[in-house]
Amino acid sequence: MQKASEPTRRSRRRADRVAREGIQYPRWYWPSFALPGILWLLILFVLPLYTVVSIAFGTVDPIFRGPLPVYQPWWWSGEHFGETLGKVFGIFEPVYVHTFVYVVVASAVCLVLGYAVAYYVARFGGRHKGLLLVLLISPFWISYLMRMLAWINLLDNDGYINRFLMFVHLVNHPIGWLEGRPLTVIMGLVYGYIPYMILPLFGFLDRIDASLLESGRDLGGSPLSTFWRVTLPLSKPGILAGVIIVSLPMFGDYYTNNLLSGSPRTTMIGNLIDEAYSTTGQGGEMASLVIILMVLLIVPMLYYLRSTRRTAEAT
Amino acid sequence: MASDARWAHELSRRDFLKRTAGAAVAIPAAAEILAACTKPGTTSSTGSLPYQIARPDKPVTLPMNGDPIPSDTPIEQGAELQILNWSQYMWKYVLNQFVESQQDNGITFTAPSTFQNMDEGVAKLQAGQKADVFFPTIDVMGKLVAADLLQPLNHDLIPALQKDNWKTFQNPYYDQGWRYSVPYTIYTTGIGYRRDHIPDDVIHGMDNPWEILWDPQYSGKVGAYPSYRDVMGIVLMKNGITDMNTSKASDLEIVRKDLLALTEDVDVRISYSGAYAKLPKDLFWLMTAWSGDMVAGWGYAPPYTEQAYENIGYWFPADRKGPVDNDLIAIPKNAENPALGHAFINFWLEYQHAMDNFSWNGYQPPQNQADVSSLTTTEGLFSEISNWAAPAMYVSPWMPDAVVRQEDFDVGYRQGPLTPDVDDQWHAVWEEFVAGAKS
Repeated sequence: MQKASEPTRRSRRRADRVAREGIQYPRWYWPSFALPGILWLLILFVLPLYTVVSIAFGTVDPIFRGPLPVYQPWWWSGEHFGETLGKVFGIFEPVYVHTFVYVVVASAVCLVLGYAVAYYVARFGGRHKGLLLVLLISPFWISYLMRMLAWINLLDNDGYINRFLMFVHLVNHPIGWLEGRPLTVIMGLVYGYIPYMILPLFGFLDRIDASLLESGRDLGGSPLSTFWRVTLPLSKPGILAGVIIVSLPMFGDYYTNNLLSGSPRTTMIGNLIDEAYSTTGQGGEMASLVIILMVLLIVPMLYYLRSTRRTAEAT
Repeated sequence: MASDARWAHELSRRDFLKRTAGAAVAIPAAAEILAACTKPGTTSSTGSLPYQIARPDKPVTLPMNGDPIPSDTPIEQGAELQILNWSQYMWKYVLNQFVESQQDNGITFTAPSTFQNMDEGVAKLQAGQKADVFFPTIDVMGKLVAADLLQPLNHDLIPALQKDNWKTFQNPYYDQGWRYSVPYTIYTTGIGYRRDHIPDDVIHGMDNPWEILWDPQYSGKVGAYPSYRDVMGIVLMKNGITDMNTSKASDLEIVRKDLLALTEDVDVRISYSGAYAKLPKDLFWLMTAWSGDMVAGWGYAPPYTEQAYENIGYWFPADRKGPVDNDLIAIPKNAENPALGHAFINFWLEYQHAMDNFSWNGYQPPQNQADVSSLTTTEGLFSEISNWAAPAMYVSPWMPDAVVRQEDFDVGYRQGPLTPDVDDQWHAVWEEFVAGAKS
């Protein structure tokens, strides 16, 4: 039996910490710092997400056919979700293919263009680095919607782009950029999301120790091979972060296609969700589409987390 | 489902609706979540409906949920007018005129609450949002009354309906005896087109002008509303099917094929603003169009000269046998100022106010004095005070087809509510189209 006056193991640990840090904090002190964040996530993420799930597996009200969430899992019905899943492998399949292709191509273009810009600013920005960064984030000051609307004017039949192409005699007639072209949708996605690619890339490239690059050159590496063997591998976490940051919202994007195309040939998953949201009685389908998209996006997200954990462990 | 039925009978319909109040919005209020946690709802895609489906040949008299307010009810002093309507639906100029007319009663008004689609508007009412006037569509009238969300109107307080408006709206098929609703705007659904690319005699000279929307020579220049009932209705018209509420599988199969052909033949584009904005800007040459959008098109046609206006045309069958409809005004059950709501409706139904609003939004009111001749020769107030644009008549003289006439409601085809099963069949066809499926 332990004597009452003998210190317990826990109190010894606390005494050790007091000796080490000099201050005695109650046990709840540090965890309490996470409370606002936890509450935020609970109220604005977990609860809405659960509501979406409850709508997907819920029912509809008998009069207005509005979505009626069922919050108790034991009463859930898979009717809406099953029907929607059937459509995903049926009539919606081309939409998933479109969306996947558009997002992959747009993310790749964002990466190539964004990497070049971020590399230049990080390596050669010098004392103008701050100014260049401000210029890079300046598109954020204008709403995404406004930027897309601006493209409509640029790409119009009598817009600046067609006028320029005709002026330099590259084309004889205006190109119908806004006539439902996948290329226009991809370009809109690139334009809308590229700042999100540049910033994380810049962050990682800027932190690469210049002495590592010099070592590569000292060991006989050409500029290209030094880039290939040193810079690129070291910036891999930035590439992954950038690709994840731009591609995830692209998958749910619907405005770009709405504004720059509108053709059923270029419908994206976000447009299907929007369409279901706007239609009476389709709340269950809307929620099911959201869940299916989330599940699909978890795969690249998990890869990103695994990759960043490995990088952290390696360093 | 048996289990669903078991739970359903434990709730009265009214309790049930209260509990589902926030379901149609993205994040229901916490109280509603807790309420919904106590009992689940019910699936009701089949079985008897708690409301009647109205058709012109099967008119519906809506049940009276209580009595209208007494005729001597004074207008609420110092009240703030609360409007729940579609966005960009009413001209603020006329709204301000109403507030000025109520100065003695100290009425104030800031801005309307708006909704983007009828579901959203209904969800707001269900969630308890207060409104003195609400703007429903015909298809939800029976549902709103079944859910006890509207109050009966006192006809003594709205003399303008009988004095100034078409008689047909004193006994409409969806609300016999206008117990709950008055008309707000009327419109037909036809074809908007660019007259500089498609001369009037081309479209008017066709045996079946609806077919022009499928003409491959206009590929990339054809638009359609993202509204399945309206666009599928036009496909029905093209095929000579006049039942705008058809439940026949064979009709829907015809619609499906033609709808998919719309993408294949002309690469149709889906757009709400196509008629009133993209067509005037020459981005579209043809568009499924509500007459009101085309009438208002001059305000979106830079450089706002008569020459620019003349490029906008509208076609509707000469025998007037096409889709025709109207929107409504009603007073919600929970209106805090029902007398003010009645005064507002009466004001809005009076000739000059209705016409001033028409001059701004392009959607015609069913006014006795508004005929083809007067509308195409009289400049509207909005045009008069718009010094940035050349004068425009209420309806451009070259667009007489866009003027809605009283007889349209006798010979035209009406879009009514569908049963849930039929509605799902319609929507399934539309989804195939939206997803870009091939025929």
